[in-house]
Amino acid sequence: MSRVVYDGTPIEYDEGDTLAIAAVRNGQHPARGGTLCLAGDCGNCVAIVDGTPWVRTCQTPARPGSVVRRHPSGAHPSPGGPEQHTAVAVRHRRAHHVVIGNGESGAAAAAAARAQGDTVLMLDAADGNEVVGVFDGPTIIVRTPSGIDQLHAHHITLATGAAEIHPVCPGNMLAGIYTPRAAAAAQAAGVDLGRIAVVGRNLVAIHGEVGVSAIELADGTVIECDTVVADLGSAPRDLLARMAPMVPVSVVGPAAAAHALPPCPQEGVVCPCGKITVEDLDGVWSKGFNELELVKRASLTGVGTCQGGVCMPHLRAFVAERSGSEPQPFTARPAARQLTLGEAAAGYHIDTFRRTPLHAEHVALGATLDKFGGWYRPWHYGDPVAEYWAVREAVSLGDVSTLGKMIVSGPDVVEALERLYPNHVHDIKVGRARYVINLTERGHILDDGMILRDADDRFTLTFTSGGASTAEMWVRDWVETWGLKVHVLDRTVSHGAINVTGPLAGELLRRAGVADEERPKFLQHRRLAVAGVPCHVMRLSFTGEASFELHHQIDRSVELWQALMHLGQPLGVRPHGLQALFGLRCEKGHILVGQDTELDTSPRRVNMDWAVKLDKPAFIGREALVRTARLPDERRLFGFTMEGPAPLEGSVIRPVGGAADDVIGHVTSSWNSPLFGHAVLMGWQKRAPHADVVEIDGREAHVSPVPFYDPEGARARL
Amino acid sequence: MLVSDFFDHLSGWRIIASPAALDAAPWPQGSQVVRISPDDVFLIGSEEPSVPGDPWAIVTPELGFSIATVHDLGALAEQHIEWALPTTRPSLAQGQIAGVPAKLVLLADGSTQLLVACAARHELQERLV
Repeated sequence: MSRVVYDGTPIEYDEGDTLAIAAVRNGQHPARGGTLCLAGDCGNCVAIVDGTPWVRTCQTPARPGSVVRRHPSGAHPSPGGPEQHTAVAVRHRRAHHVVIGNGESGAAAAAAARAQGDTVLMLDAADGNEVVGVFDGPTIIVRTPSGIDQLHAHHITLATGAAEIHPVCPGNMLAGIYTPRAAAAAQAAGVDLGRIAVVGRNLVAIHGEVGVSAIELADGTVIECDTVVADLGSAPRDLLARMAPMVPVSVVGPAAAAHALPPCPQEGVVCPCGKITVEDLDGVWSKGFNELELVKRASLTGVGTCQGGVCMPHLRAFVAERSGSEPQPFTARPAARQLTLGEAAAGYHIDTFRRTPLHAEHVALGATLDKFGGWYRPWHYGDPVAEYWAVREAVSLGDVSTLGKMIVSGPDVVEALERLYPNHVHDIKVGRARYVINLTERGHILDDGMILRDADDRFTLTFTSGGASTAEMWVRDWVETWGLKVHVLDRTVSHGAINVTGPLAGELLRRAGVADEERPKFLQHRRLAVAGVPCHVMRLSFTGEASFELHHQIDRSVELWQALMHLGQPLGVRPHGLQALFGLRCEKGHILVGQDTELDTSPRRVNMDWAVKLDKPAFIGREALVRTARLPDERRLFGFTMEGPAPLEGSVIRPVGGAADDVIGHVTSSWNSPLFGHAVLMGWQKRAPHADVVEIDGREAHVSPVPFYDPEGARARL
Repeated sequence: MLVSDFFDHLSGWRIIASPAALDAAPWPQGSQVVRISPDDVFLIGSEEPSVPGDPWAIVTPELGFSIATVHDLGALAEQHIEWALPTTRPSLAQGQIAGVPAKLVLLADGSTQLLVACAARHELQERLV
């Protein structure tokens, strides 16, 4: 014989035993008491098996060396489990027809389906296929010994049979109580159940200390025994059918048959999972919870391991007697079986975080990478202040491959862009570019970027890294809605982009083969070879310094980056990460959409009315802006300066000397400016009159005009 | 092994044009035409194509994808694809594979190619291991 360890004691088991049978064979209750069904219907045999709690031991084969511990008495086990170093496997399987339950009715249903030419897959918990849930699709989630199966089926037949009703009476949580089928199974396995008393609905009490010693019948008869076999009829196992009412599920056999409710319970534990008694139910009923669903929610009956498998008939009988009508079973929800977190997560992935073509370069340069806008991006390369100074005083490279990039072309392209954007588009000359914001129909800022004209009927559009993922959908949706003839091609993942920025950026381009007269001027763009790599060179500025964005095919990114780093060595080139970039743009007062804006931020609130041309007849958001322009709106984004360390972004802005709960806004961007030697920040004031001096972190902050740095914009035009 | 352990950088052309123009386009001999949508073609391994039927067609080099050979399509689908595969060849299927947007090109000869954006290639490789 082999052995398992039960509560620290080795016990022997026979070939074919489940852990529950092994326990009762050795005179133990697999949990601590309560009726055993040995069919997976109840939670009276759950234990911690090899570190995983809430395991139904009646469904778990005994294996040599299995370690079983009973749940703590009167408490739930800790939610820990075995350490899992590998993901739980998931299988996506398809079948025309899935039959759940391979008993008599299931076999008949399967035969009928096969006769019609259907492919049939049969599932049964006894075979190790425990159905956890049925979802729309339809999709069936099955726990198997080798992982989780996601079954996609056209039709589902439920042939799960009926569950035997457990007794509810004083003493019904003692050890030694069986349903008839459980007793038969135990005896078939050779378990000695001692003196057996078979009883029906005339059972009124079970006596004993830990295990059963006697039963009491309605006529007062007391029968001494070691085992009670309670034959109280059955109830349909229809949990899965009630789980997905919109899914085409056929229920056959005993699972579909009408079953009489048991008598209303008078005393004892109704819900063994939660140890909820008839007295508890009376308590919630007296408080006015007078419907089945309300009694369930108020008492938590039916929300435990068995999900109503044991308590449902008694709960319905309880409500029926008090309300005068028989209630329908309560709503069922997945999971029908306990899952580990690993099983619940099987087959699900976190979002995809993309890598730019320069990822390996950043790693080699010692970058600290962060996940930002769906991409791995360099946060810094070890010294963000030095990176800042490289931009302000020399030249620096930034990987801006993550920017949204799009080509639009067509006979209606100007009309489409005029309607999409609040700025004028028709007067952008070929070779010129313009900053634009995108608005929602409510006039709120959705994103920002650039429009660059490539030809009369062709443009390049850019979007923020965070907005890129929805930009194509946004453009296509509107173009198709308007019925305009415009072709759209997203280039975000196909084009790399390197920002060469700093007062020596032009010099670096010269060393990379771009003659001074070829270099585009501010807000111009041109296609040029840079260090031999064909580039779309865009002269923009987010940092406040002269900047050239070099857009190119991603197979040349590394070559271009390495060439610029090499050629720039004598100029003091170094790469900069997002930390320095965000500080540089903060000094320029450039907003970050999504950080400095809120979901309902209009251009007026961020002082960007200049980017909106209401003289245009139509653009997305125009009607909302015209309407709201007549309404008072006190919310404004301000620039602030303050001494001492920069406050955290998100810090509360209060009036000077204001109470702790007197909040007028919060900080959206914050930066310790190496150039100014004090903090520069942006933040909201959401009520008028707007203060000139506010309090942040207990210190005074002064409203300051933005840009803080180079307000004339001369350096970007160097 | 579900797919080849090495993803090749894919080189071709991307063409956005009216569906009728794409239907009639004279694709260069030897090129592989992947029709991503009615107005979108990915032409693999080709000289620059022309689309005479649409003067506004966008024709641009496409180097943003990687390609791998699928060794066991059935196992790949069973382990990593929630959606139903096409039942006929040749055909193109697009959707998430192991949670990563990707494309399957089911060729007439029974072989299958896996296309994924270079930016997401590492993530997909890691998830298919």
